[in-house]
Amino acid sequence: MKTANKLSESILDKLSIDFLRNQVLKNAYGNNDTVIAATDPRILLVWYLFFGIVPWFVNDLTFLLGCFILVAVTTRLARVAGLVLVLFGIGVFSQTGYLLVVTLLFGGDASAIAPLLVLTLKVATVSLASVTVFSGMDPDKLANGLMWFGCPERLSFSISYAYRMLPLLMEEFQNVLLSYRLRGNPPEHDKLLGKIKYLIYQIKVIVHSFYPLMLNTAKRSRTTVEVLEIKGYRYAAVNKEVKKIKLSSLKVTNNDLLFLSLSFLWVAVTILISTLI
Amino acid sequence: MNVIEIDHLTYSYPGAEQPTLKDVTLNIEKGDFLAVVGNNGCGKSTFCKTLNGLIPQFITGDFEGSVTACGLDTKTTDVGSLARKVGYVYQDFENQIIRPTVLDDVSYACLNYAMPDYRERGMKALEQCGLTGKQDDFIWQLSGGQAHLLALAGAVSLQPEVLILDEPIAQLDPMHADRIYGVLKELNETYGKTIIVIEHHTEYIADFCKHVMLMKDGQIQWKLPVKEALQRVDELQECNIFPPQVTIAARRMQKSGQLPADAVLPTTVEEGKNVFVKKSSAPEKNPPTVTHSEQLAAQLKDVSVSYRSVKGGPHTVFSGLNLDIHKGDKIALIGSNGAGKSTLMKLLVGLLKPSSGDVLLGGKSIRSVKPEALSRQVSMVYQNPEDMFIKDSIGADISYAMEVRHVAECKERTEELLKRFNLTQLAHRDGRLLSGGQMRRASLAIGIALNPGILLLDEPTANLDIATRKEIMRTLEDIKGITETVIIATHDMQLVCEWADRIVVLCGGKVVGDGSRDEIFGNKEIVDTVGIRPPEIFTMGQTLDTKALCYTIDDFLAEFEGRTKRS
Repeated sequence: MKTANKLSESILDKLSIDFLRNQVLKNAYGNNDTVIAATDPRILLVWYLFFGIVPWFVNDLTFLLGCFILVAVTTRLARVAGLVLVLFGIGVFSQTGYLLVVTLLFGGDASAIAPLLVLTLKVATVSLASVTVFSGMDPDKLANGLMWFGCPERLSFSISYAYRMLPLLMEEFQNVLLSYRLRGNPPEHDKLLGKIKYLIYQIKVIVHSFYPLMLNTAKRSRTTVEVLEIKGYRYAAVNKEVKKIKLSSLKVTNNDLLFLSLSFLWVAVTILISTLI
Repeated sequence: MNVIEIDHLTYSYPGAEQPTLKDVTLNIEKGDFLAVVGNNGCGKSTFCKTLNGLIPQFITGDFEGSVTACGLDTKTTDVGSLARKVGYVYQDFENQIIRPTVLDDVSYACLNYAMPDYRERGMKALEQCGLTGKQDDFIWQLSGGQAHLLALAGAVSLQPEVLILDEPIAQLDPMHADRIYGVLKELNETYGKTIIVIEHHTEYIADFCKHVMLMKDGQIQWKLPVKEALQRVDELQECNIFPPQVTIAARRMQKSGQLPADAVLPTTVEEGKNVFVKKSSAPEKNPPTVTHSEQLAAQLKDVSVSYRSVKGGPHTVFSGLNLDIHKGDKIALIGSNGAGKSTLMKLLVGLLKPSSGDVLLGGKSIRSVKPEALSRQVSMVYQNPEDMFIKDSIGADISYAMEVRHVAECKERTEELLKRFNLTQLAHRDGRLLSGGQMRRASLAIGIALNPGILLLDEPTANLDIATRKEIMRTLEDIKGITETVIIATHDMQLVCEWADRIVVLCGGKVVGDGSRDEIFGNKEIVDTVGIRPPEIFTMGQTLDTKALCYTIDDFLAEFEGRTKRS
């Protein structure tokens, strides 16, 4: 019982806003020294185009397994934050994984499991490829890569600015929640009924938090808007020269080509194996 | 040569009935270091925003007359070209930082204006602002002072001729404030930039600025060299500007006939040496000693705390901290930015649990108690009053904690609190839309609504102009009678000297000093290692007589007199 209590306590502790904020930052900027982060964003986007789309159209188990192993390795290389992996796990399970478990429990045989395994593998592969690319790269690189492929400047700015604002928003949110914690009076939650009441109370508080959160953030962003004007954001958005300078920082290196060819080689080997079987 | 020429400028904000600036005519010379002073709401910030074209181009309104900055008409030149001539640093500088890393942010404007060497320009600006070596840091790793320097560097990177700073040191401890002004001085002297600051701290004006401009009701009263400007003690005080304490002390001596009426008043401690002298028969003072009540209100036992950090291992704030807080203590908690003052407060209200050690309130450990359950015992008022407002009117905010606890006399108590803090008229307004002083008063009222035994205040006087600060200091004096135990974390040494009975000094996660103000300020070792900056009048007294401990101008006048009278 004691350990169970401790466990629930530590899970609650882990889910604090502070923890979320930390994980978001870690995810965005904490791993900029990994192999994946050093790769050119355009190469990664091309790579993603393959692993994000092809698995949907292939039903060969060996090939899918091969792809899955590869993206699992790249995810490991990208040193993705724990929270994202947990969310990934929950996501895959809620999509198809539970079907697999249910089938097994109710005595489904291999013929029923195989297609489900294929589906699960597809979802997992594509998700992990996305995780590698979108959380392994830092947001600015991603934005630059997208810009190279012709996405409008506004989109790429939004991505990097959202990452800049997110910690601020969360901090603001945390402060408002703290105010509720310090001044509020939540229902007792020892018994089951109390626990449900407590949950409802918490949801209420989160909903109520939005009003002060939005006003506080709006008040803060007044300055930011003026600064963007002074710093020439509007000017840059229409200037071709600026785009050129920004993109000149992108460079394909030998490592990038190595990354691509290794991936290619791996895929080729899996296809070979699958034809041999 | 003039860098700024203003001719009969009158400006009103859209929809405003009264103009904010009225018939302003002014020239600012190249290479000047100008301080703009004036009451709250006299149009200082508006004035500064007309210089870089934000008014009238970005913020419209009624604009008459003309403003020329570096030969460019601000009405017709686009904001981009003006930004390369006139840089602006906001008071809420953290919102001015747009990019996630230091080098990215500092070179952002250069990149936007398509300068191919934007990185080099960014690096140069970092060097000019003393941030070399920080270029790869993330902005959330910077301290408050460094973030301010970064905002400054972002403006400097375009190498403008004029730099405008809106209250650059309002949120900083004295060490960081000195650094900012050191950088500004260098920019002014070595790089020939013209610098305009909106500033309340007249000590800094006396030390660094060349000219002072007084604004009143949207008009310029005068622009004078610093020495001359600070002599006008009475006129400045009327506008709620408080000249350096040394100057005020001399002026009071002048009024009482201890100094001749035509004497030049000192503006710095250095000048004060030639003006003041110790009285031959100084009254004996009984130094107050800290008397503790036997009962403990709170206790920290061997507390260790560390934070998770984005990269690398956890950051340790405290390791093995011990502190006893007695009932009835009025404690000032001091220490530089990042010494752990806020962490200590969070520990006491239960928002943060120590990784080892224990926090006791009234003899009981609060390790397994939820913060909500503590709110009748201990209450905390944040540094940023906006974070205290969770309802849409301050009346509702004050009553919230009582309402949800079904306190019987909730309504009466709310009204009483509104009255006590002079907020009755404002009860239905949203807290965020009030002025700085009103917001602060409202947050204090919210803090003591449940009548807690211990009240924690985080920087209650930060970001306020001097007049509002005096008003809050009176309110804090008032709170002494209402709440039994009060702890204030602050950089404001005047507040510390005038308000606190006991001073606790934090440095590097440890309590390095704990005692009365004489024990702390009289201890050179502590003052030097922690970098405490006593009020100017205290330093003045110490310079004249190392045994003198004067915390207020009244103390000083009791011990010292004008030199001329004796000769």
